[in-house]
Amino acid sequence: MKAFAGPAMLLVLVGGYLVHRSLSKEDAPSRAFVELELAAEDEDHSGTCYSLSTVLIANGVFGNALRTWKTPDERNEDKWTLVLEAVQQGPNGPVREYRNFTFEKFGEQVRLVDVEASEEYPTDIEENIDKLLEAPHARKSTPVDRCRKDGGTGYQFPKKK
Amino acid sequence: MRVLAAILLATSALAGCSRELGRQQVAEFIDQADAAARKRFAPEICDLRGKNFTMQLVFYAQDANVPSEMEITRKLYCQQAGSFSRLRQYRLERKSIDIDIATDRKSATVTAEYVETMPFYDPWRAPVTPDDFNHFQVVESRDVSVVGIEDGDLKFLSTETESHQSLVSKKEVKIPYD
Repeated sequence: MKAFAGPAMLLVLVGGYLVHRSLSKEDAPSRAFVELELAAEDEDHSGTCYSLSTVLIANGVFGNALRTWKTPDERNEDKWTLVLEAVQQGPNGPVREYRNFTFEKFGEQVRLVDVEASEEYPTDIEENIDKLLEAPHARKSTPVDRCRKDGGTGYQFPKKK
Repeated sequence: MRVLAAILLATSALAGCSRELGRQQVAEFIDQADAAARKRFAPEICDLRGKNFTMQLVFYAQDANVPSEMEITRKLYCQQAGSFSRLRQYRLERKSIDIDIATDRKSATVTAEYVETMPFYDPWRAPVTPDDFNHFQVVESRDVSVVGIEDGDLKFLSTETESHQSLVSKKEVKIPYD
């Protein structure tokens, strides 16, 4: 029996570690999801020329706000909500400000399908897309392959001179 | 295989074991929490909060007509605890405590009154140094917390706080730097 004690203990430790990791792991979308091109909220859902990850990084993933990814439906890995929240000092004391951006995969694109926010922030999707794009435009962030080529166009994407 | 089964059984028995709460144990836990707050050491403050901890705050600012209200999760609470460490002057006094152990002795409701004194930084102006403020804020609070055992340790499960703020001139208060 002694021969089994070592491996058995190792098995328990490894098993415990894996259970701990699986329980403590924070949810986040896959790299494939965030590398999809963000679509605009126009009629054709034109591509913006930037991947979702580029847009988020260009926005500094919204400064000091606390960031949490959630799946509205655990069985659907194609829909994710990015929750941004912070406590700010208002005139009447501390207040919680938040923005919940829900993104969903459609083909080779990801669309912003819903925005919930505290009253300081807009919830209109088109307005939010425009605001999200300000940072990558200003920083001249790297576009997706499709737009790197000459003639590649995208929603509000500046044409090459 | 019997060894493996015995280890697994012992592990699950340990994980599932439950302790009963006593008044002394809860009082010591609150002392520990107050000491962590006085140190403004976020990891320790955070470690005393349960996984699903929530805090509901009703805050009456001086001269405000309406209170600000918010509910925050453990994650945001812990982030706030992190920014708390930037304060160089802080005083926490507990004025009263009442511990009510639940009949099943698995949790307790703690009602405590506190007075906190700390610098008040104008929300519209970034301080240049820690000393860049004109008033101390004195915040009198009544906390109603539920504490219970989680993963074998005593934790705050929730806290409801009602706070009243008053501002006093910086010259009127002496709090040492630490």
